[in-house]
Amino acid sequence: MSGCVVLAEKVSKVVATAEGELAILEGVSLEIKAGETVAVVGASGSGKTTLLGILAGLDLPSSGRVVLEGSEITALDEEQRALVRGRHVGFVFQSFQLLDSLTALENVMLPAELRGDRDAATAARELLEKVGLGQRTHHYPRQLSGGEQQRVAIARAFASKPSVLFADEPTGNLDTITGERVIELLFELNREFATTLILVTHDERLAGRCDRRLEIAAGRLLA
Amino acid sequence: MTPFFIWRMALRDWRGGELALLVAALIMAVASVTAISLFVDRLYQALTSESAHMLAADRYVTASAPLPPAIREGARERGLVTSELMVFPSMVFAGDERNQLVSVKAVDAAYPLRGDLIVADAPFGKGAPIRQTPAPGEVWLDSRLFPALQVALGDTVEVGISTLTVTRVLVSEPDRGGSFFDLGPRLLMNLADVPATGVVQPGSRLNYRLLLAGDEASLERLHASLDLEPGQRWVGIHDASPRVGGALDRAESFLLLGGLLGVLLAGVAVALSAHRYARRHFDHVAVLKTLGATPNVVLQAYTGVLLLVGSVAVVIGLGTGAVLHLGIVRALGALVSVELPPPGFRPFLVGTLTGLVCALAFALPPLLHLRGISPMRVIRRDVGGDDASRLVSYAAAAAGGLALLVWYTRSLTLTLWTLAGVAGVLLVFGTLAVLLLRGSRLVGTQAASYWRLALAGLQRRSRESVAQVLIFGLAVMLLAVLVLLRTALLDDWRAQIPVDTPNHFVMNVMPEEREDVDRLIAQGAVPGSGSYPIIRGRVIELRGESARAIDDAREAQGGDTGVQLGSERNLTWAGVMPEDNTLVEGEWWTPDETRPLVSLEADYAREFGIHVGDSVAFDVAGTRVETVVASLRQLDWESMRPNFFIIFSPGVLEHYPATYMTSFFLPKENKAFLNTLLSRFPTITVLEVDAIIEQVQRIVDRVTQAVELILGLVVVSGCLVLLASIQASRDAREAEHALIRALGGTRRLIRGALLVEFSTLGLLAGCLAAIGAESTVAVLHHQVFDLDVVLHPWLWVLAPVTSALLVGSVGLLGTLKLTSTPPMRVLRGNAT
Repeated sequence: MSGCVVLAEKVSKVVATAEGELAILEGVSLEIKAGETVAVVGASGSGKTTLLGILAGLDLPSSGRVVLEGSEITALDEEQRALVRGRHVGFVFQSFQLLDSLTALENVMLPAELRGDRDAATAARELLEKVGLGQRTHHYPRQLSGGEQQRVAIARAFASKPSVLFADEPTGNLDTITGERVIELLFELNREFATTLILVTHDERLAGRCDRRLEIAAGRLLA
Repeated sequence: MTPFFIWRMALRDWRGGELALLVAALIMAVASVTAISLFVDRLYQALTSESAHMLAADRYVTASAPLPPAIREGARERGLVTSELMVFPSMVFAGDERNQLVSVKAVDAAYPLRGDLIVADAPFGKGAPIRQTPAPGEVWLDSRLFPALQVALGDTVEVGISTLTVTRVLVSEPDRGGSFFDLGPRLLMNLADVPATGVVQPGSRLNYRLLLAGDEASLERLHASLDLEPGQRWVGIHDASPRVGGALDRAESFLLLGGLLGVLLAGVAVALSAHRYARRHFDHVAVLKTLGATPNVVLQAYTGVLLLVGSVAVVIGLGTGAVLHLGIVRALGALVSVELPPPGFRPFLVGTLTGLVCALAFALPPLLHLRGISPMRVIRRDVGGDDASRLVSYAAAAAGGLALLVWYTRSLTLTLWTLAGVAGVLLVFGTLAVLLLRGSRLVGTQAASYWRLALAGLQRRSRESVAQVLIFGLAVMLLAVLVLLRTALLDDWRAQIPVDTPNHFVMNVMPEEREDVDRLIAQGAVPGSGSYPIIRGRVIELRGESARAIDDAREAQGGDTGVQLGSERNLTWAGVMPEDNTLVEGEWWTPDETRPLVSLEADYAREFGIHVGDSVAFDVAGTRVETVVASLRQLDWESMRPNFFIIFSPGVLEHYPATYMTSFFLPKENKAFLNTLLSRFPTITVLEVDAIIEQVQRIVDRVTQAVELILGLVVVSGCLVLLASIQASRDAREAEHALIRALGGTRRLIRGALLVEFSTLGLLAGCLAAIGAESTVAVLHHQVFDLDVVLHPWLWVLAPVTSALLVGSVGLLGTLKLTSTPPMRVLRGNAT
């Protein structure tokens, strides 16, 4: 359990814009250990979401390397990165990212189905019970409130039994009280599944609940 | 990736309404192509079999000597049906004094293999089809032989040395006509009676035919296996009547062209809906990828869904197409008076392949695009796919589409020319459409309320709007061109046979009878354009060499013995060249020409190696006449006018005894006039070509109907594409409407704006169609038909108005559901 789950070395991200090249991240190095909860904080446009995408293997840095659960994902192609994500990573997003055409249950079943697991329904139902939506398994996302949708998303994130969970502003679209409940749930499940949690947030209270804070400004990690 | 997952994915997408549009577009593609193919297939089969009636068979082999039994055996081995017949001229006698030259046709029991024999109970009766031929010992006579020979049913006539009983009145045979020598009044008898008549003597003019019927492949195999001798000929509809053959070819091209446009339009609809489906799945794919779906899994999943959906659409489409085509057949039952044969297998194959190719070439490329969607999209919405794959996917669509079209039309040339034409028109139209839309924007800023809303909408979706104007404009333009050209086309197709073209020829008119005959014709019928003198004569010398020596030499070399240089021929003279003839070599004589000159038919001259400037000597009524070849002419053998191989310059033949040939038009119901004519002038010969002309006109008329019908279907396909493209812009429209309604706009305002938007689209398309049709027709009139360029002001009003009404109502109908969606649902849907 102790080893290093995420390792980033001198990660930079540069994008071409109309005004020339723009450095979003510059020489970011970090190390996150198994079971840690880490908050990445910073102002809008500081590069924290970009960093999250790169650490999770959703995007590639312009330079530097990232090792996720022992795989150097910066050396893999999209095909292989997807396999690593499927095996080790779970996600929770600010905008929930549930599939409109699928019911709550089907959304939670999705990771297991992608692995070819035929009995995805039982596990998914249990998870929905855990997040308190056992009665709403057959509702579509548009029939659920924002908080309920995020709880479905959390259930889906844990459905693949990930070792690392990435969360991007998980309370950004929710009011304070609903946000609190969602946070409770997230940390509770995190403990239960012994997951490493890396989240990006503006929310100081949320950041305060994490073991570690990484502050980012103008693409650089502040010491 | 398990098939199970694909199945569930497809099922969920379907339930969510994501696939409905794509499935509908695919079904539409398959159904419209299947329906058009089925109809075209059956109509073409009907037209072909109707034209086969003109041969009384699918093909025949003809010869001037008995055909070797090997040909008949070969035909039977290949499963073909055969029938044998003979045609020859003969005198027929009734009683001691009355006789008449007839064209005898002796047939076996199988005749005719195609078409019907029509017989009546009394001369000049209307008649009904019969599935019998004369029994041995019986003859059936043409109506006008009854008064000419003064016989009634049950009387006997003599053919050669046989006495045969008249049992029926023959109204028509399917293959009546064919050549001028075969146009006397008909006597139909049994083939078995021919030997007993004794008319078959060495030197008799006989024509033997073996009629063949069966499937195309067997016929072609037989044709390929035959090694025909000189004097034997293989005849199909193209050989027997080049004009009907030409009309059929043109019909096939036009029908295919219609089907081709149908395929293209359907492809556009599929591509549009696949794009919408793909766009809606960008987020979907990004989420799947964050959950560990690899690009290949995404590709397999969507290809699987597409194939599944494609197969279902093909099955439903084939069924819908079959029903649709029954509807077409029923709707046009009154118009298309042909009995349609059952459809073949090919239309269903065409439909199936169209569905699969549409799915793979038009729908797969946008889905392939999904493979490259970045998972980062879940965090940053602005991250799209890579644009490089887009070019590849368009190339795939183009290649797949082209392959489909080539396969469908079975002609690369036709396809490429059509595509080039369509591309050219689209380019010009595209530019015009952009300009017109800009113009409408200017108008829009001056206008108020829903006009402004509508025109702003057109502008915002300018790419789609241009495409819609183009597709619709093109369909309406094609229809307008056809309507405008209808007359010109028909005139061209009917060629030299307008309604009152002479359909009877009178030969052997004595000089002293000429005025009386002309007067009688003027009373009872419509006289043709003048009469020609005919003098019998033959060539005796060519370039100083005797004609007999030339013919002997040709025979020794195994040349065609049927045509001889020294044969007796009909000669005439003329000051001006007959109007259908075209000069191919030399010059026509001037009015003051005094030298004895001749003008020869070009093929005849080529046969014997005669050139302009050669000396030719004739024997005319026992006198030697020396001439020089002044020119060679090409004749139109299909013109239904008297044609002459040899024409003399004036002043050479005038004092030789001549008979005259004249022509007149006689409507069918006045056929009895022939009796008056023949009883007054018993020595003249009347040739009837009315049956052939009528048959040709009927076929050409049906071809025209079929073409119009197909273009009508193309306009319907255009409407369906419009619906598909409305569906493709559905999401944006829904969001827009919700926003307008949230801001206080009424449903009426939105519907008004939609009506204006689509009517404007239709109006612009109609304007383009009018411009396009008017220019195309002007060019065709000027270049092809040699007619004056006329503008059609009514088209300038009718095309835009009709098109505005059509597109306006179809568009409004297509968006009706969108406007009734509660705005709250749309706004909430957009928030997620």
